[in-house]
Amino acid sequence: MRKFSALIVFLFLFVVGFSGIAMSKEAPKYIKVGTLYASSGPFAKPSTAEFKGLNFWVHYVNSKGGVYVKAFHKRIPVKLVAYDDQSSTATATTLYNQLITQDHVNILVADFGSVLTSVAVPLAKVHKILLFDVTGTGSKFFTPDNPYIVLCSLPTSGRWPYTLADFIISEKINRIAIVYSSNDFDQSQAVTLHNKLKKAGVDIVYYHAVPSNTSNYSIILHNIKAKNPNAVIEFGYPNNDIAFLQNLESSGLKFNMVFTVFPGQLFKLLKANVGVKALSYGYTYPTPPLLRYNKVNLGMGIDKFEKEFEKYSGKTPNFLNIAGYNVGLIIQKTLETSKKFNQLAFRKAIAGFSGKAFTLDGLFKVNKEGAQIGEMLPVAQFVPRGQGLKMNIVYPPSMKTAKAVYPAP
Amino acid sequence: MYRKKGIIYGLGITLLVIVLFIFLPNIYNNTSFLFNLMLYMALAEGLNIIYGFTGYLPFGYVGFFGAGAYSAALAILFLHFPPLIAVLVGGIGAFLIGIIFIPLLKLSGAYFAIANLAASQALYYIVANPNLEKITQGPYGISLANIYNPQVSYYVMLSILAFSMVTVIFIRFSDYGLALLSIKEDRVSASLAGINVPRERSIAWGLSSFIAGLSGGVYAWYVAVFYPTTVFSLEISVFVIVFVLFGGIGTLVGPLIGSLVLYSFYNFIGISTPQYFQLSYGLLIIIFALFIPNGILSIFEKRGIHVP
Repeated sequence: MRKFSALIVFLFLFVVGFSGIAMSKEAPKYIKVGTLYASSGPFAKPSTAEFKGLNFWVHYVNSKGGVYVKAFHKRIPVKLVAYDDQSSTATATTLYNQLITQDHVNILVADFGSVLTSVAVPLAKVHKILLFDVTGTGSKFFTPDNPYIVLCSLPTSGRWPYTLADFIISEKINRIAIVYSSNDFDQSQAVTLHNKLKKAGVDIVYYHAVPSNTSNYSIILHNIKAKNPNAVIEFGYPNNDIAFLQNLESSGLKFNMVFTVFPGQLFKLLKANVGVKALSYGYTYPTPPLLRYNKVNLGMGIDKFEKEFEKYSGKTPNFLNIAGYNVGLIIQKTLETSKKFNQLAFRKAIAGFSGKAFTLDGLFKVNKEGAQIGEMLPVAQFVPRGQGLKMNIVYPPSMKTAKAVYPAP
Repeated sequence: MYRKKGIIYGLGITLLVIVLFIFLPNIYNNTSFLFNLMLYMALAEGLNIIYGFTGYLPFGYVGFFGAGAYSAALAILFLHFPPLIAVLVGGIGAFLIGIIFIPLLKLSGAYFAIANLAASQALYYIVANPNLEKITQGPYGISLANIYNPQVSYYVMLSILAFSMVTVIFIRFSDYGLALLSIKEDRVSASLAGINVPRERSIAWGLSSFIAGLSGGVYAWYVAVFYPTTVFSLEISVFVIVFVLFGGIGTLVGPLIGSLVLYSFYNFIGISTPQYFQLSYGLLIIIFALFIPNGILSIFEKRGIHVP
């Protein structure tokens, strides 16, 4: 009888103990995705656009019953925890820490751009949580000793002008003027282009940085004209591109080739601010939705996404909405393929599908440091068509839809 | 007797603050919030030295903070100084900038505030100049990721806060503090009474810039990756000025209370109701400005309670 009692007690303790272990491995009620957005300040517009894209992804996966988590073999709803950093890095530091230490989010997503991502990088590293970097392309973030960062939606900015350089070289355009805004994002592009062209023997006749808040390029444009270049490349943020193109239009100056960054990303914004004439025959890097990726193996193709996003928000999506949605897709794939539910397993899972996942944003491929190297930015030119503009991809040859109109009429 | 009591109370409060910030991470482990709170308290005390005791309102106070952050970072990157020494270099760097800006003290009132603001912007543009990329790394930011140590930098920040508080205690309860207050009341009369106005206010200016520089240095260490826009952000000046005004100028406790209440509210609202953040925080500031225009400590002073 005593032995029986002991056995019962032992079984009871075993069951209780085992259930305790099982409990600790239980699936969470929600997958907590933590992020920041800026409702005010200099990054408000791009940040809220990205945030809306991420929100859309959360809304969409939850409408399907949640995201499939391989580690638990089931779908789990996603809960988005988001705070407003108001474009302030000091506030962002506290709020990232809040997401990590108080909210204990399972997935940490950075705010828009390099400045607001910068404070999250060391925090994520020290707390050993993988940072899903949306558009923070600063090269300083990606180091061999930090496995806790993955850039999801854009290649590191130093890689952006690869195709542009090849285009200039292939078209045998000489005498290039490069003006760039003095920030990490634009400087790295300018340096890459400068070095590649120099190596190819192309003459750089003008190479200058301007403050990122430059709003008048009139004198700069006349200085450039004095050097008589065949192509003018301007690397800037949207506000710089708008000012540059407006000033170019009003100055009456003509160049054979003019390249700016953001008409290809924020076409509607640029068109509304500078007009069709100023964009005519101009070159840019086209990104989705101007680039139409419909043959995808992860998430929606661009056509379907546009329809669903318009239904959800009542607005046509821009590139930043797509970038926000795209980071959601990378999170989704990570959870679908990670065998274990921990941060290093997530990173390992990402390495597993890197180079194989193709989304509406292009090929997702990261290097060992977590920097995006898959997405390629082709070169496109806007040509007048009726009252509007048509975008032709002019380089690389594999994506070419028309020959470049060079020199511009 | 009053002075002795004040010093004892002041040191007691300093000790209490030290003990609190040592134990708070065990209760609330968002150490970034606690670090930023200490940072703003130290900056508020630093600003209090020049504004609270002499009446000079430096709108460009952030210039010293940024100078400190960059001095410390450059000491680490180029001279390979250990972080602790680099923080000290940050303080010295800001102090030297303070010496260069001493002629600004010949101005007064709004003229001084605006000139100081312009000086801090000039510093920002010098540091962010792309042509100085090889020295300051221009606008492309600095990475100190290899020395990142949030635990140690937390306690260094606490030491700087303690130092700033002890400095304010010394000023508040010394003849030097009385001299500064007389300068604040009337410079000409103070000068006629035998006070060396340029020397005394320059010392206060130097101390104030040194504290801001130390804070900037440890901030650079704590965040590890930063841009000129991060450490020369005018928002920092505005926050510190509002915290000091809200708490009560010319005291030890006022800037501490101002920072504690307003920065805690700022974060509480930002975390609990981020969608109504600006509305809630704006309303709060308006209510405080309407009903307690002279700062929280004025409520106690009206009741005859002297606060250190």
